[in-house]
Amino acid sequence: MTPIQMADVGIILPELFLAVSAMGLLMLGVFGRGRDTARTIAWGAVLVLAITAVMVMGMGGEVRVAMNGQFRTDGFTVFMKVLALLGAAAALVLSIDYFERAKIARFEYPVLVVLATLGMMLMISANSLMALYVGLELQSLALYVCASFHRDDVRSTEAGLKYFVLGALSSGMLLYGASLVYGFTGATGFDAIAAALHHGGENHGDGAHTLPSVGVVVGLVFVIAGLAFKVSAVPFHMWTPDVYEGAPTPVTALFAAAPKIAAIALFVRVLAGPFEHLVAQWQQVIVLVSIASMALGAFAAISQSSMKRLLAYSSIGHMGYALVGLAAGSQAGVTGIALYMALYLPMTAATFGILLCLRIDGQPVDRISDLAGLSRTRPGLAAALAVAMFSMAGIPPLAGFFGKLYVFLAAIEAGLTTLAVLGVLASVVGAYYYLRIIKLMYFDEPTVQFEAGQSTAVVAVISLSTAVTVLFIAMPSALIGPARLAAATLFGG
Amino acid sequence: MLALPILGVGIAAVLASLARPRIASVVGVIAALAALTVYLTQVSSVAEGLIPTAAFGAVPALGIAGGLRLDGLSLVFVLLITGIGALILLFAEGYLADDPKRKRLVAMLLVFMLAMLGAVTADDVIVLFVFWELTSLTSFLLVGYKHEREASRRAALQALLVTGGGGLVLLAGLILLTMAAGTTSLSGIIAAQSAVLADPLASVAMVLIILGCFTKSAQVPFHFWLPNAMAAPTPVSAYLHSATMVKLGVYLLARLNPLYQEEALWQALLSYGGIATALTGVCLAFRETDLKRVLAYTTVTALGTLVMLIGIAPDLSITAAMTFLVVHAFYKAALFMIAGAIDHAAGTRDASQLRGLGQVMPVTALAAGLAAFSMAGLPPFVGFVAKELIYEAKLEMGSAATGLIVAGFLVNAATVAIAVVLSWRLFAGRQLVAPSGAASPPHDPPLSMMVGPVVLACLGLMAGTLPTVLGAVLIDPAVTAVLGRPADVTLKLWHGFNAVLALSAATVAVGIVLYLLWERLVPRLKAVSLLDRFGPSVGYEHWLAATLRLATRTTTTIQHGSLTGYVRTLVLVMAVACLGMLILRGGVAWPQGGASLDARAGLGGLMLIGLGGTVLARTALQAVLAMGLVGFTTALVFLMFGAPDVAFTQFVVETLLVVILTTALMRLPIQGRDGRSRQQKLGDAGVALLCGVAVAAVLAAVLASPFDPRLSVWFGAESLPAAHGRNVVNVILVDFRALDTLGEITVLAIAAFAVVALLRSNRPADPAAPSPQGPLA
Repeated sequence: MTPIQMADVGIILPELFLAVSAMGLLMLGVFGRGRDTARTIAWGAVLVLAITAVMVMGMGGEVRVAMNGQFRTDGFTVFMKVLALLGAAAALVLSIDYFERAKIARFEYPVLVVLATLGMMLMISANSLMALYVGLELQSLALYVCASFHRDDVRSTEAGLKYFVLGALSSGMLLYGASLVYGFTGATGFDAIAAALHHGGENHGDGAHTLPSVGVVVGLVFVIAGLAFKVSAVPFHMWTPDVYEGAPTPVTALFAAAPKIAAIALFVRVLAGPFEHLVAQWQQVIVLVSIASMALGAFAAISQSSMKRLLAYSSIGHMGYALVGLAAGSQAGVTGIALYMALYLPMTAATFGILLCLRIDGQPVDRISDLAGLSRTRPGLAAALAVAMFSMAGIPPLAGFFGKLYVFLAAIEAGLTTLAVLGVLASVVGAYYYLRIIKLMYFDEPTVQFEAGQSTAVVAVISLSTAVTVLFIAMPSALIGPARLAAATLFGG
Repeated sequence: MLALPILGVGIAAVLASLARPRIASVVGVIAALAALTVYLTQVSSVAEGLIPTAAFGAVPALGIAGGLRLDGLSLVFVLLITGIGALILLFAEGYLADDPKRKRLVAMLLVFMLAMLGAVTADDVIVLFVFWELTSLTSFLLVGYKHEREASRRAALQALLVTGGGGLVLLAGLILLTMAAGTTSLSGIIAAQSAVLADPLASVAMVLIILGCFTKSAQVPFHFWLPNAMAAPTPVSAYLHSATMVKLGVYLLARLNPLYQEEALWQALLSYGGIATALTGVCLAFRETDLKRVLAYTTVTALGTLVMLIGIAPDLSITAAMTFLVVHAFYKAALFMIAGAIDHAAGTRDASQLRGLGQVMPVTALAAGLAAFSMAGLPPFVGFVAKELIYEAKLEMGSAATGLIVAGFLVNAATVAIAVVLSWRLFAGRQLVAPSGAASPPHDPPLSMMVGPVVLACLGLMAGTLPTVLGAVLIDPAVTAVLGRPADVTLKLWHGFNAVLALSAATVAVGIVLYLLWERLVPRLKAVSLLDRFGPSVGYEHWLAATLRLATRTTTTIQHGSLTGYVRTLVLVMAVACLGMLILRGGVAWPQGGASLDARAGLGGLMLIGLGGTVLARTALQAVLAMGLVGFTTALVFLMFGAPDVAFTQFVVETLLVVILTTALMRLPIQGRDGRSRQQKLGDAGVALLCGVAVAAVLAAVLASPFDPRLSVWFGAESLPAAHGRNVVNVILVDFRALDTLGEITVLAIAAFAVVALLRSNRPADPAAPSPQGPLA
């Protein structure tokens, strides 16, 4: 074991900064005496996240490993970290106004979000099973608390409890899988596992083995199960609708974007890294999970009456599409995933922002039928929501279409034509419920009156996100270029 | 240059949505005419075989290669789109004069026009697809324009689901095509014909593309959305559902014809699909009296004829197809507008209630007569030229086409009959049936509504009298594009007395007979309820309802909200995954020599007792204690197999577990008995058993695989020299992994503090309050 070098500190500087800032914000919250402490700290946290994003971007795309091989930064991690940071920052901005109105503004929330984001960054950069687990738990523990943040609300506490119990179970599975992998490869570092599995095929015992040992494969299955839970892929998705519905809306906005980005990134890192040589073993699993997620996301969402539950199923479906790219197991597939997540983020942020702007009795709108006639009462928001829905449905020329196009192309290139066809079919079904919302907004009569007044910050998030969704086609290389580079470093390095 | 009209129309759409209604219409008409002018300047160069292209919007990052391309085929379409578009916008201004929201319609029509122009001039499949779907979207908005009406909304959604879904199928086909050709450029794909056709998925791609085109062009069995889309305002029907959007499928089929024209499957699907559509269209047209629905079904017929003509492929039929395309656009748009004018004036569109309108609407009657002559295919109208060509093309095929000729004959005769209904029956005669819904007596509509039909009807006459001009300027370049080589066919009005003319005459005669029977035929056919019960439209409804049911069922069975249920699903999935993987990979194995029974096997019995106790326990506390027995026995096993340190750890852990669980259970307000039904208990037992089997199988398989001794050998060899300890486990804990151990102890200590804090703070505030009555109390 070599001592930690100064160069290592340079590599983990963004994470260090985030960790220290989280502590600082916490202290400020505990000892601060202002009336607006919660608001100040929330904005402080947004600032911290933004600064961290800039620092991460400064890391550049080259592959660098630090902390005795526990931590890795490359183009892919930089891309995904920036997305996760933006997602967390957007969710925080959306939360400020809501929490103040609901009179549950507490300084702990921004601190928890910052800590969760730190966990996400560690997940994305993890280069060993241990670093992976530490990052994952740091993120999850903070999020469990966030889910039940409205602790006087029965549904919020129930959401938190469900999330915690199922999350703990899945973490346990992941840990069990990780220890099996360690036991059978003798390593926790991703590079060492990859090396062991690369050779493991041939020189295992009697030499007759050409398959990896059962232990590794069982371990892999458990690791995949744990990760699938974090991205809420079927059949580990059950927590998603309940937690989305129960948690306060801004918290749902957080859940929908940043942790998903981090978990998908981790999924890619783990399967394309240490288990790269076991593609034959995991590809079928990912294909199945992906098909099930796309199908469930498409069908179950149709009958929802709650917007948040609908978005939960929609996110399950989206994760299914992203996993199509992973199933391809190729550089093109990873490019597709990176792009998909980059486009998923603004759509999600815009949608939740809009929901937060539409309040009935102080609560964000949740019944889908309440959106009827929105084009007449709030034409701007209706247009923005229509853009988000069209984009999520994958209808060109909006951004969402290109995300789908890329993962499907990668799948076809990898010979997974059936998967791609099923994906297209699922998106046809999915389009139905997105379009139903548009139909409601534009063709039906308004039934409810929304409260006036909306936070400038929320409107800014909506406008920015909508602009990205609409204008992507005008400047696609701004995102596709980095996504390509990100995928290239993952495979080239 | 080629992007200019598209941009211009786009800008006009924005302007129109901002301007006042009347101004919006003016802006729209000017934009359409300007675009038409731009395209007209290209006519001569296209006729000479020069194909203008524009490398606009090449986006290498998206892999989009090509830009825009205006060959003969595209030119025919853009001229129709802009020319008829201008007339329609003018018509809409009159038709919707009382509607304050009409600028929305104008703006949407312009966006639609933009999409159509983009779709027919795109030289890149992705660009084409984007515009293709944009036409579906705008059509959704346009059909649903009268959104207060339930029927409109349903029709809009139906049109979108059918054409939008078809679009995605098309995308799948186009992507396969792109993969095979290695380029997204349409001309590139056609140039790479041999590579495309050699691809193993070539026929899959072809069928997917055909399906996409069939949904768009309302071919059987996807034809049902088109008549329903008649819920749209008449200008929309006239523009989208006769002249332009529904022809987009025909366009793409024609565009890809050079690629596939030699393929037998392509010819078969198109010719039989087309003729089936044509026959279905005329049959259904005879069941309707609503003018717009009659027109819609005749449009279905025309689209079927077009598709069939592309399918039978030789020079003559393509020439016929291109001619008929133009002709049909002229007369059908005119007739739609006339139907709108009648509706506007008389308050009804029911053909059975309308007679003798010619007396009060003379101009309309004239235009209707001209258009209907063209539709019936009578000389000297251009419809005659087209029909002659169609017959000639079929006759040229010889005996193989007998079926096609018979079917085509029937279709044409019925078309003649309907043309007579639409002109003679509506306008001629003296007795004026006063329509009930009219506020004032019917009269000719305002000028803005008359320009369109009259201009189009006259164009039909002019083109008929000067067929060679039409042929040289428009049809020949288009045919060249569709065939991929020039064809040697000249359009003529008069072919002399031959078999074709005889067929034409017979057609007209049979058509007139059919007309005479019309009044009796329609109610008869309407009474055939079989079609209402088993048509594809019903299939669509069923499919929609089934999807909704499936959705509800999925949610209620999977997302029941019970945490226990979720956990059950989770462990079940893992058990099935592990077992399935073991069985599929043939990994089920039994460790060698590990199963020897001796005295220590008695411990197994003790474990089983503990297990039985857990399962049969009546309260949670009993279960915890019985589980403890299993844990302690495990510790004994460790002890007997020579691992006393592990055994002691297990003892400590087990004790802590039992104590903590008991403490927690005593504080939770858990109600007495287990409330599960017998069935649920059995189900849970099954899940538990399956998990047990899975874990056992995995363990056995893992133990059976060769042991990797690297770590234990290393620790065994290194512990004495490096750490001066003989107990390897101790050395690992306090030396090799000393920092880990320290960390673990710290975590445990912090956790203990937290537990204490929780237990203290959670004590009931009021000591007098009754403690929760639990099973453990």
